[in-house]
Amino acid sequence: MARILTVDDSRSVRMIVARELRALGHDLDEAEDGEKGLEKLEELTFDLVILDITMPVMDGPAMLAKMREGGNKTPVLMLTSESKRSIIANLMKLGIDDYILKPFNAEDLKSKVAKVLRQDIGAPVPVASASEVGRPAAASGGGGGGAGASAGGSGGDPAAANRAFVDILVIDDMENVQKRLRQMVPEHLSVAGALNAQTAIAACRDRGVRAILIDNDMPDVNSVALMRQVRALQPKAVVLALYVRTSNNVLEVAKSNGFDGVLMKPFDVGAVEDFLLQYFNSQDLVSKDDNVLKVSKFKGRENRLDGYFIEVVSNITKYSEEIAAACYGEMVLDVSAVPPNAEKVARMMLELNTRISKMGIEIRLVGSPEIAKTLKQYTETAQMPLYASVDEALRMS
Amino acid sequence: MASPNVPPASSAERLAEQLQRIITKRIEEDSLVLPMLPLVATKCLEVLKNPNFSLKDLAAVIEKDPIVTVQLLRFVNSAAIGTREPIKKVQDAVARLGVNQLKTFLVEAATRRLFESKDTRILNTNKRIWEHSLVVASVAADIAALANSGDAETAYLAGLLHDVGKPVVAAMLLEAERSIRLSRPDAVWISPADFLTVVQKIHRPLGIKLAQKWEVPEPVIRAIRDCDDYDSSERSSAANAVRLANAIVKEQGIYEGEVNKDDVEAMVMIGQSVLGVDIGACRQLVGSVRAAVKAYL
Repeated sequence: MARILTVDDSRSVRMIVARELRALGHDLDEAEDGEKGLEKLEELTFDLVILDITMPVMDGPAMLAKMREGGNKTPVLMLTSESKRSIIANLMKLGIDDYILKPFNAEDLKSKVAKVLRQDIGAPVPVASASEVGRPAAASGGGGGGAGASAGGSGGDPAAANRAFVDILVIDDMENVQKRLRQMVPEHLSVAGALNAQTAIAACRDRGVRAILIDNDMPDVNSVALMRQVRALQPKAVVLALYVRTSNNVLEVAKSNGFDGVLMKPFDVGAVEDFLLQYFNSQDLVSKDDNVLKVSKFKGRENRLDGYFIEVVSNITKYSEEIAAACYGEMVLDVSAVPPNAEKVARMMLELNTRISKMGIEIRLVGSPEIAKTLKQYTETAQMPLYASVDEALRMS
Repeated sequence: MASPNVPPASSAERLAEQLQRIITKRIEEDSLVLPMLPLVATKCLEVLKNPNFSLKDLAAVIEKDPIVTVQLLRFVNSAAIGTREPIKKVQDAVARLGVNQLKTFLVEAATRRLFESKDTRILNTNKRIWEHSLVVASVAADIAALANSGDAETAYLAGLLHDVGKPVVAAMLLEAERSIRLSRPDAVWISPADFLTVVQKIHRPLGIKLAQKWEVPEPVIRAIRDCDDYDSSERSSAANAVRLANAIVKEQGIYEGEVNKDDVEAMVMIGQSVLGVDIGACRQLVGSVRAAVKAYL
């Protein structure tokens, strides 16, 4: 919580600032001109001054000059309708920390207040807000929906925490493209679509995205320029170009244009799998919620089935260590989506049973009657308990 | 102590003032001789004014100028456009670009000619100004898109032309130097630094006049007219995108001439709030755009 002084001759501006910042837990005081502002600064110590430029009696620049002359180094955030470069450049020389042009939005105000306060107390910038847009900690900013930390400074940025996240964003004017891809990637990976550049930019501004696929031939869209823009908003995302199969040397062309790779249309199951393997952690095959693990459906060519089971076993083993570390004595393992390939399922369960029982963890399987039938075929797995649902398995605790 | 061949420090100021007076007078009298938009561009723009124009007619006009034809095919097959299959016909190139991009290309091709010079000193200076203009143009278009202005093409054109008066002044200075040396072969001439000062001081009115003569859209002329202050009444305008792009590009050192650091910092700080864009993202754009521009040059 910080103590903030707002100096503005407009009562409504003082009220709005106070309302927004009090909601974040700050302590607000106010003054209607520079002279009264200086008096307040004599009486109390503030963490931040929010200062207007044009005011009667004593304007913002005069008050700022007096503050600095008197050795007062309180951070100052200008909140003004003045946008003249020469005036702002002079104020910067006197020492202002940031600037907001009126009319302003509440998010911009909160984000900049948080930034200035964070700089002042020297607290570290939350990793997400600094790295997401590749900006230096001292030069973060509000607009464009970029992440900014909460003014409380304790829990990071609530906006970023609540921000929607999408695994794959498909930018293509043909709606069917994202639908086809949706059918080919595992359910636990989210797929969103944008039919034009503007929607795509808005999506990249508002959400975290892991992979972006851009059609190379959208009407009125320069795909290379769009790639550059979405990269600026999502520097961590992988960006692939979508080409139709008739194109030649596309990988070379796409890479020289700055794309990370290409995906050909119409989608080929193997190519989509390669894309997922290359850019999505195989750990995504298994999702974890406390001591409940859920194995994703297999989507791909038959010859990759062995690889799928190996990855699943490896991921479950890894998660089992976390489950043991959290002192759970049992693990609920939902294998309903696993393909009912009798031999492979049985071998997987044997392998898991051997590894996990050594840790003192009991496996409670959740699966379909088909899986139950498969397990019953082998002596080693015939006795494994199998439940119809996760809830039922948890109730046994 | 000044070298005997270098005029006093105030000579650039005096020359700038003299030239400014001459240019202002000629603008007022409408007697200023400015580079024409190439004939092919003028004819194309004329064809494009007709909403029912045919691609075939347009292609025929362009094909009459072999240099523009080659430039157009190179441009449409370049990384900047990212065409799926190599385009070999002018008509296909025109269809791929669309009306707005074609207009921009024509102005860009014409502007590029202004930056050419047989004089090595001017050529080098112009090359750097041209690089700055191309980077500002692309970054401005990106900023316009990020700010949801919906006017990225205008922002690109305005960025491209915001310093267009500079090569014109440079050419005028070269011409003035030639005339003086014809009558007085031993006459001293201004230093390269002073040369840039003069260009910097008087390029703006020339750029505006040129843009008006070439009939570029009004927002583009506005962007050339005032690069120093934002228009807070139209926050997401193309002109504001150019102002912010210009400041960020200067901040990154892609500029020919002196830069006032305080002014640039102020322009970046104000621009961030005016356009509501993330300055870190904009700075990041400059790096990738510069690499693309270097490849293009």
